[in-house]
Amino acid sequence: MKAKQLIFSLLLLTASLPAAEPVSFNRDVRPILSENCFACHGFDPKHREAGLRLDTFDGATANRDGVRGIVPGNPAESAIWERIRSTDPDTVMPPPKSHRNPLTPAQQEILRRWIEEGATYEPHWSFLPPKRNASISPDPQLAQSSPIDIAIERRAKQQGLALSPPAPPETLIRRISLDLTGLPPTVEEVEAFTAASLTDPDGACRELVDRLLLSPHYGERWGRWWLDQARYADSNGYSIDAPRQIWKYRDWVVSALNADMPFDQFTIEQLAGDLLPNATEGQKVATGFHRNTQINQEGGIDREQFRIDSVFDRVGTTGTVWLGLTVGCAQCHDHKFDPIQQREYYQLFAFLNDQDEPTLKVFDPGVNVTELTREFRELEGRLAAWMEQHAAALADWEATLTAETRKSLSAAINNALDVPIEKRGFAQKRTLFAGSIGGVGPFRELNDRYNELDVILNQGTTTLVLQERSTPRTTTVFVNGDFTRPAETVTPGTPSALHPLHKTSARPNRLDLARWIVSPQNPLTARVIVNRVWQQYFGRGIVETENDFGSQGTLPTHPELLDWLAIEFIERGWSLKELHRLILNSRTYRQSSVITKDHIEKDPDNYLLCRQRRLRLDAEIVRDVALAASGLLSNKLGGPPVYPPVPPGSLNVGQVRRVWAESTGQDRYRRGLYTFIYRASPPPSLTVFDAPEGFSSCTRRIRSNTPLQALTLLNDVAFFEFASALEKIIRSQGLEVAFRRCTSRNPQPEELELLRQLDPLTAARTLLNLDETVTRE
Amino acid sequence: MNNQPHSAPADTMLLNHPHLPCNAEMLSATRRHFFERCAVGLGSISLATLASRNATADPIQAVNPLQPKPTHHPARATNVIYLFMAGGPSQLDLFEHKPLLTELNGKPIPESYTAGKRFAFMDSSHRNNLLASKRRFRQHGQSGTWLSDLLPHTAGIVDDITVVTTCKTDLFNHAPAKFFMNTGSGLFGRPSMGAWITYGLGSECDDLPGFVVLQSGPRGPRGGAVLWGSGVLPTTYQGVPLRSQGDPIVNLSTPLGITSEQQRQVIDAVTALNRHRLNTTGDPEIATRINAAEMAFRMQSSAPELMDTSGETRETLELYGIQDPQEASFARNCLLARRLVERGVRFVQLYDTNWDHHGGATENLEKHLPEKARDIDQPCAALVRDLQQRGLLENTIVIWGGEFGRTPMGEVRESTGRNHHIDAFTMWFAGGGFHGGQTFGRTDDFGFGAVENPVHVRDIHATLLHQLGINHERLTFRSQGLDFRLTGVLPARVVNEIVS
Repeated sequence: MKAKQLIFSLLLLTASLPAAEPVSFNRDVRPILSENCFACHGFDPKHREAGLRLDTFDGATANRDGVRGIVPGNPAESAIWERIRSTDPDTVMPPPKSHRNPLTPAQQEILRRWIEEGATYEPHWSFLPPKRNASISPDPQLAQSSPIDIAIERRAKQQGLALSPPAPPETLIRRISLDLTGLPPTVEEVEAFTAASLTDPDGACRELVDRLLLSPHYGERWGRWWLDQARYADSNGYSIDAPRQIWKYRDWVVSALNADMPFDQFTIEQLAGDLLPNATEGQKVATGFHRNTQINQEGGIDREQFRIDSVFDRVGTTGTVWLGLTVGCAQCHDHKFDPIQQREYYQLFAFLNDQDEPTLKVFDPGVNVTELTREFRELEGRLAAWMEQHAAALADWEATLTAETRKSLSAAINNALDVPIEKRGFAQKRTLFAGSIGGVGPFRELNDRYNELDVILNQGTTTLVLQERSTPRTTTVFVNGDFTRPAETVTPGTPSALHPLHKTSARPNRLDLARWIVSPQNPLTARVIVNRVWQQYFGRGIVETENDFGSQGTLPTHPELLDWLAIEFIERGWSLKELHRLILNSRTYRQSSVITKDHIEKDPDNYLLCRQRRLRLDAEIVRDVALAASGLLSNKLGGPPVYPPVPPGSLNVGQVRRVWAESTGQDRYRRGLYTFIYRASPPPSLTVFDAPEGFSSCTRRIRSNTPLQALTLLNDVAFFEFASALEKIIRSQGLEVAFRRCTSRNPQPEELELLRQLDPLTAARTLLNLDETVTRE
Repeated sequence: MNNQPHSAPADTMLLNHPHLPCNAEMLSATRRHFFERCAVGLGSISLATLASRNATADPIQAVNPLQPKPTHHPARATNVIYLFMAGGPSQLDLFEHKPLLTELNGKPIPESYTAGKRFAFMDSSHRNNLLASKRRFRQHGQSGTWLSDLLPHTAGIVDDITVVTTCKTDLFNHAPAKFFMNTGSGLFGRPSMGAWITYGLGSECDDLPGFVVLQSGPRGPRGGAVLWGSGVLPTTYQGVPLRSQGDPIVNLSTPLGITSEQQRQVIDAVTALNRHRLNTTGDPEIATRINAAEMAFRMQSSAPELMDTSGETRETLELYGIQDPQEASFARNCLLARRLVERGVRFVQLYDTNWDHHGGATENLEKHLPEKARDIDQPCAALVRDLQQRGLLENTIVIWGGEFGRTPMGEVRESTGRNHHIDAFTMWFAGGGFHGGQTFGRTDDFGFGAVENPVHVRDIHATLLHQLGINHERLTFRSQGLDFRLTGVLPARVVNEIVS
């Protein structure tokens, strides 16, 4: 990655930095200093060598016993200039023991010019607010040009490249459908779209995007994107890894996205929904975001240790997901590269340390909980009163019992009888009355209704939530992140290098933190989120290190575009659907993904985006596409996770043998999103295609390409079942239809000719195994 | 060996790209190839001809992420077999001869040892009273290595192994400690040692995975698949469990009712159509996928061949103590480990579970530890001998150990046992440049802590990588703005005293 970064910055330099243009600290200098110097001469004073810090102007220019690291305007007198050029292993910087190579002549030259030009420092780019750049504003004369295309084309042109032509309509509809809903288009949809594209290609695309954004499957597709970041799974993790119920949180995410809940609200409800005034059930369910941490159920553990581990996880995840910062690095020491002190880490920790972790009963829509709870309480009172009044009658009945007659009574009644009268609880008394003198009449009526409400109110679906404690815990710094070594006490607060926290009370809470995160003053969150959305569409973000916008991360390839998207995102009410529209309606998005000779020579890794990129589908969608192509897909939305067939014995890899009650009926054919995930033994057909296991926040999936994937597509029980269904389609509707169901395009004659030589089942298996079937082009 | 981009370098694409000067010629060649291979080849290609097919020049070169890579320095070893005793074997009943422990049996351990220490099960059954070992200890071999009477076969290889008695770890609960031993971190989801090594060195084997896991014992190890996961590394490098029942590899078998002819047809047709698409799109990932499918097909025959031990001699089976070659056992896994290394597999890890002898009814030192020791003693010794006889030991490191050791203090539940202990425990190493006949490190009179030469888990990792030709500080992978590495950021040293 280092090499790539270098090539790219050189490429930018040669093109856009004529000798006369001043060196930019953030673009040209900081990457060199951060990679090579800051680990020992940076923000963290405990590891600062020779007292020299190079991350600030004052530090770099300070006079230390007559030596100055940098003398602005004078490279010759600057100690670093001498040290980076030295050939003596004892003095050269970076030193050989750091395993870093000496700076290249080009890097040295950048530093020399920068010092000569005055060694101006700038705050790190991502800590500065995004700003609009007029140079990418559309020309009013050209109705269709979008700032996205202007930014991409301008950079491309500097390298002698141009955007690729639009992809053919059948590729486009498949791409857009898979990107927005995770499902391929039907054969009819492809035909209609292709026809519409003949007359108005742009209009056809816009209409398609509008239609798909209204599909309930949009929320499933993008819900999974968010669930990766939320580290969602259906079990407790660690060695016992017992199942847990938290799918209501998953459903909340899906419906929030379908409703296009503004992202700021989406954030607030997940981080602090319980603290909102009159919090709704949904807002409480949303706090499940931070309940997706693991729970260690092993014997002999110190529970506090693992509770603290889960808070560490919450702090790190919050930093990664919303700030794009590696906050977790400051758990044990001040951050080495970014301005986050260890103390500030524990101030963030304090926000997330004041919760209890209860289980919330969740009701079906239509249940009036307030009314029923009132009735339940009232019934409780009336039952108690009735029983009080009839205590003597019960005692009379009891007196008639003999050992012989008791044999005919239920175990529950006998158990209650064994409890001395004064010690009997409400439930035991009810049992006794119901089994004797209350078996008919008014008691029976009250009691039956009471039992009915008890089931509705107190049993059934639950989900894990956060709930603020009435008395906050004391939070301290932990020396080296070790919870047995508490140091100074801290109160909730946010890092001083970022915008100020608006406090609503003396001790700010999670709600203040959530509002701080989505404050329009926050330079990071909008950028981080638009970048992560962009990454879904192009396989790489404008900032390649999508989870590190700090100084160790890569620079944005198109900074003005990133800023424009971030500003638009906020100004359009944090609407993710609007953001999708902006991107999908650009020419950049709609380009062909064919790689040409020019691309290989000038931009082999596609940093300039002069082509779209073929992307292997996400694990769940590999399944979904096969289900859709074979006609088996269930369109059922939401609900408890399901248990589709998995290879025999494949889940017994951990300590506990798993029961996997294979689903029948349509639950067998649900989308991959709904498959039950045990963290320690997830279904192989998902992990083999790089689905995350929910151990920690996943902000970008790796896309591997392995023999085990081929074995899965070839032999997995589920895929074989899909192939058998597709075989039937081949028999009834022909090969061509089957081909189109898998790839959304018409087969070429030689392709069809080849497939015709195969028996229908072999042809079906072939089609489901094609690279094209599991790829969005 | 920094983070490599996993897309193909441009030059691999030049070979088959339609827009190059050779375009027309290439295209027609490919088309010819397309028809020859598919129209004619289909149905006629059988498993037997696979080898010759692969020998022919292939016009498409894909990037194989497992291709062997250069080392940082000359390597002393090329392969690793890691015998993982899951649960934490008691070093005090197997390796550590402590007469004072016997003498002070039942007396509390001096407080100076335990002050400020934390233990698992602190609140419940933890006791401070010392527990003598019931085993008899004796010195063996020319080296005079101490062993208890539970390891009679190991006694026969002591001059070929290095016993390190001062191993030290940071975590005392099973799953986190196992992660720590395997990944250098107590957290879930970091790359495992086998993944790191396969990532760093690639694999010498083109029909089996580079990192293979075998399991024995009544259940899987705590922590499950994470123990051999690839974490931030691509999944290409994750461990592939070979199972003793059913398919050796998940989804290895052709579905019921499908002939190998039909299976071959699918592979051929997919390859032909993928190749066609490759020529249309120029995407090198397709070439990688074509190669992966070929390897998958080869695995379908090589993995069953590997598992079929019928060609092994009676002497070999007896050496390992294998009664029934079909029966799953640790002994059989040891034999399979040798067969895997013979075939070039880089990293083989065996998990044997149920070494957690706390003293409960099913996990005590009196009955169950001897049973576990009997299960593994002969096969471990046989593996070292067998590798040696075949000239493989020189290049293969064999590691024996658990995630931690056990306390000198006893735990009395239904019977006697010991608690988890992290300050000093024993592992042994053989082959790959590790000295033979050496006992390294010295613990105090109770075996509680090191008094000489402590060896931290990180040091073990650094030493292991060193023997494989890798500098542990340079084997890195950039993720989340950090250069991840097996040994992490705290100091780690190569223990030069035990290797050459």
